[in-house]
Amino acid sequence: MNAGSDALRVFRENLRLAPGRIAAAAFRTGVPHTDRSRSTFVFGNVFLHLHSVRTHRWSLRWATTAGLGIATLAAFLITLVTGVLLMFYYKPYPDAAYLSMKDIHFVVPTGRFIRNIHRWAANAMVVTVILHMARTFYTAAYRAPREFNWLIGMALLAVTLGLSFTGYLLPWDQLAYWAITIGANIAQSPREVTDALGVTEVFDPGGLQRLLLLGSDTVGEEALVRFYLLHVMLLPLVAAALMAVHFWRIRKDGGLAKPADVDRRLPAADGTYPVFTEAPQKTYHLAAIVRGRTPAVGHGPEQTVPSMPHLFYAELAVFMLTVFACTALALVSDAPLKELANPLVPENPAKAPWYFLGLQELVAFSAFMGGIGIPAVVLVGLGLIPFLDREEAGTGEWCGGPGGWPLVRRSALIGLASAIAVEAFIIRFGWLREWFPTIPQLVITAVNPGTVLTAIYAGYSMWLVRRYNSTRAGALGLFTCFLGGFLVLTVVGTYFRGPNWQFFWSPADWPLH
Amino acid sequence: MASLDRNKWLLLASSVGVLVLLVVAAVRENVLLEWRQVQAEVRLDGQPVPVHLRQVVNQTLGVADRCVSCHVSMAPGEQNATGPAQRSHPNVVHDPADFGCTACHGGQGRATLKDDAHGTVHFWPEPMLPVRSTEAGCGTCHATAGIPRREVLDGWSATFERLDCRACHRMDGRGGTIRPDGGGMEGPDLTRVGLTGYRADWHDAHITRAAADTAAPWRTSWRSVSEADRADVERFLATRVAMPSLVSAKSTFFASGCLGCHKVSGVGGDDGPDLTRAGEKDPGRADFAAVAGDRTLDNWFDQHTRTPTSVVVGSQMPALRLTDREVDDLTLFTLSLRRRDVPGSYLPRDRMRVSRFAEREFASDGATVFGAFCAGCHGRDGLGLRAAGVATFPSVANPDFLAVAPDALLSETIRRGRPGRRMRAWSDDTGVRAADIAAIVAYLRTAAATPAPIDSKPARWVQGDPAEGGRLFERTCAGCHGPKGEGLDAPALNNPVLQAAATDTFFVETIARGRRGTGMVGFAESSPIHPTLTRADIESIVSFIRTWGVQP
Amino acid sequence: MTLTPGPAPSRLDADPMPRRDVLGLLSLWSMASALVFATVGALRLPRAAVLPSPSKKFRVTIPETLPPGAAFVPPGRSVAIFRDGDGIHAVSIVCTHLGCIVKATTAGFECPCHGSKFAPDGAVTGGPAPAPLPWRQVTVSGSTVTIDEETSVPTGTKVQA
Repeated sequence: MNAGSDALRVFRENLRLAPGRIAAAAFRTGVPHTDRSRSTFVFGNVFLHLHSVRTHRWSLRWATTAGLGIATLAAFLITLVTGVLLMFYYKPYPDAAYLSMKDIHFVVPTGRFIRNIHRWAANAMVVTVILHMARTFYTAAYRAPREFNWLIGMALLAVTLGLSFTGYLLPWDQLAYWAITIGANIAQSPREVTDALGVTEVFDPGGLQRLLLLGSDTVGEEALVRFYLLHVMLLPLVAAALMAVHFWRIRKDGGLAKPADVDRRLPAADGTYPVFTEAPQKTYHLAAIVRGRTPAVGHGPEQTVPSMPHLFYAELAVFMLTVFACTALALVSDAPLKELANPLVPENPAKAPWYFLGLQELVAFSAFMGGIGIPAVVLVGLGLIPFLDREEAGTGEWCGGPGGWPLVRRSALIGLASAIAVEAFIIRFGWLREWFPTIPQLVITAVNPGTVLTAIYAGYSMWLVRRYNSTRAGALGLFTCFLGGFLVLTVVGTYFRGPNWQFFWSPADWPLH
Repeated sequence: MASLDRNKWLLLASSVGVLVLLVVAAVRENVLLEWRQVQAEVRLDGQPVPVHLRQVVNQTLGVADRCVSCHVSMAPGEQNATGPAQRSHPNVVHDPADFGCTACHGGQGRATLKDDAHGTVHFWPEPMLPVRSTEAGCGTCHATAGIPRREVLDGWSATFERLDCRACHRMDGRGGTIRPDGGGMEGPDLTRVGLTGYRADWHDAHITRAAADTAAPWRTSWRSVSEADRADVERFLATRVAMPSLVSAKSTFFASGCLGCHKVSGVGGDDGPDLTRAGEKDPGRADFAAVAGDRTLDNWFDQHTRTPTSVVVGSQMPALRLTDREVDDLTLFTLSLRRRDVPGSYLPRDRMRVSRFAEREFASDGATVFGAFCAGCHGRDGLGLRAAGVATFPSVANPDFLAVAPDALLSETIRRGRPGRRMRAWSDDTGVRAADIAAIVAYLRTAAATPAPIDSKPARWVQGDPAEGGRLFERTCAGCHGPKGEGLDAPALNNPVLQAAATDTFFVETIARGRRGTGMVGFAESSPIHPTLTRADIESIVSFIRTWGVQP
Repeated sequence: MTLTPGPAPSRLDADPMPRRDVLGLLSLWSMASALVFATVGALRLPRAAVLPSPSKKFRVTIPETLPPGAAFVPPGRSVAIFRDGDGIHAVSIVCTHLGCIVKATTAGFECPCHGSKFAPDGAVTGGPAPAPLPWRQVTVSGSTVTIDEETSVPTGTKVQA
């Protein structure tokens, strides 16, 4: 009887304590207000332990990263959440897809708003990933030991563009249909060379690429299903996997890149939080088998602050800023939805998504060079940079390295000016085909405004290498020039190209079709 | 630490910002939407209606029309709703609760915002039909067969009016009598009688009833109807299919000769664009630079029909000098040329008869066939057309011409055309059948009250001197017909079809008697303004003319 | 690098200035509320505002030859319509047990799924069905008969045509 009532009392007591115990079981460390509990807060949490326990003060400066990597991740997460929500209603089948978009737009509760956020976050992700790459480049953060992470980053750039591009088709409206038709034809551009060589019959990589992409000879239901699969399944998985590697490598490569003399550059800390001071109570037995420099035993990592809360507030702030930007844009600007896709009535001009309009401008000169040749050169060049630039001066600094900011400024001018000059020339005077109508295609493939521009940039970069006796200087110049060229071509393709890809000062001047 | 505080402030500001934006979005979605505000004012039996999205769904037709979210009184079962802009749908054949709205009216059914729904936005190719052109929507599915040309239809209609059938019968919203002591119309509504049919012995039944019934209408209004009038009335009733404006517009189309240049459903010439689906033209893709008023297709067609070249630069279509009513009719008809994929169970019988059983939308009588195919060039009355800058179109109803032209010449010319000239061959691919050609010829003869000439001579009998004829031709004829008979202002005489089809008698008689109302004078008659030719001279000229033709 | 003079603080000590971090808490709570608000909004999305199925109110044309007591089920609808001397009535043919479509027989209705049986007026006569088949609202105006599958009327309500 007594034992029984005891057990009941204990049961009641346990029931009363259950909520607190559930919380304690989930968060073992309690409130993080000592240095140790802050540390355990970080590594005791599956999501946070990707961060190091302490963060260098240099990394927390806004000027170091501008939060672009986190903003990209935030945009990815936003598209992930909104994308899953849209999948509730989206039907990946021609015509039905369009009708389901109409329903999302008009009758699904919050549907239009969520689609707008999805669209803006996707665009934001493209922008931030490019800016993030530029940041990494200009602070020379690709250098050893971060070369591989630079390559992962390039893969992530490609996956981001792929995600955005595959999403472009899904509304199945005229805009989508013809943009993807253009995009798929860019994929087919190696045909220009194989045709000119007369080997397309036996060797047709361009046709194969297009066939793999579309699953048919035109954009149709097969293409829609493939794009849907890529958009909601394959590419997000690849992106997530690559991101995991990317983040993990940041830690393994020693955090963010810092200048060698970082201590002198940072203002004195106010010492709000203590750092490791006590004598170690353990020895690093593993030191013998760890390669590289042995961890300094006896004093903690200096100039660092606990990641909790310093890093996390910064990250959350960037995350919410990104959310804010996407939500605000979604509120004021609706994602476009044109007429139902009609394979018989081409859009004129049919334009690819904006980030491919620079490519489309190049493709207008030569399909092969614009679609494959020049992008391949650029990608290979970008991938090789960390392995060619083995210098050390300027790591972690903006425009670091020989030449510095003045060189970047001059390169930007040259990059923009030569791109504008080439565009102006071809718009005013035409090109080889207009002068010599019978000229062989291979000549145009080799010599066209795109390759000329590339040659100008390459020559300038070579000159910089000699002038400053530094690969880094050449890379700075070349990267800046290409950014400038990309900007000019994209702007021309977006705003100044009308029906039949002719030049117009404004869409108001377009002839009616 | 300063940077930590700055980040906290940033987090606070952006979080509050997001919260504010979300609240704005929530208010916009849950309060400010137009249909919510409309429905808040709607009352049903004095009670507010529940505010939610309403729609008409017909899965077979692929319709999901949310129009009724604002037009609540047209929603299924809510006909009695009252409130601003609430009006119940007129009683029509198709139940809006079943067919939805867009199947007939166009517009964007899935939309829930006014501009999007009415389709006046940039990216909706099929905006709502304007109210005055509502019947154009019927053309999406329906194709009433056997509509005669305007004059004929008007004649039937006049007979119907003259017989005062509307004293008892209501038709197209007019007529019918309410009994003085209350009660319904005296006779049944005839608006849809072309679809529902009527008893074949209606005339006898009326007579019997009139004899038995002592009610005033039967005494005062009913009279027996003559055989001819009865035929007119019956043909008129066959055209009453609840779309009077469209039938009327069609009859104007078949009187204006549009099929001479345009194809509709595979019938017609091909000088102009095929009009089969012209009513689906996307206003977003039409050039409105020279069109006054709203950017509607209705407006575009209206102006284009009046003065084609002012709307489409370089258009070959002549300005047809139409009355306002005819322009309205042609605009309505062109707008009605639209299609929609409908499942077989919804395909109406009239369309089926036209598309599967080769019935034609125009009547097969000569007047209508002439009106539909020929009137554009030869004039509605067949008396030819003169327009500035265009070669004169010959007057085929000229009695002088018909008096000498054998039927074979007429039908051969229609069948084979005049190669090289505007007159095309009306072969099978234009939809003109042999019976139609015979009907046209018969119509011309009746209209001009000129029977076919009786000619006992063979087709070729002239034995003149071609050399002498050549000299005479040069002097007398070449001025109008050209030195080689190629035809300048006057018809070309060297045309192979003319040479093959015309008899010598036709040439001789035409030269001798001339053709009143045209530039061709009778050369056998003495006149101060031209030389008088003897019978022998004329035969020589005909022999000369014959040297251009292929000898049989 | 320790800047604090005096005895070095230990990493096991609490914060030197243990005060409530008002700004931090405020920012965290506002972020949490923004995200919760967003989640609540997003959770409204899966609840469809309109259904893709046709309206439950529909016009029907009853065949002239329908004998009294025989059921007429309009294609695609789940009501059986009867006409007799007293008027027209419509009985739901969705089984009240688990939603199978019952079959009209001369003795009433039978459910093929779990053997529920109903009398001609819808009352349960056997099987697991918990409630009788409801009668649906019939409206007759002029020659058109309208059935509302969503509105029930008391059993026995017949409408004179």
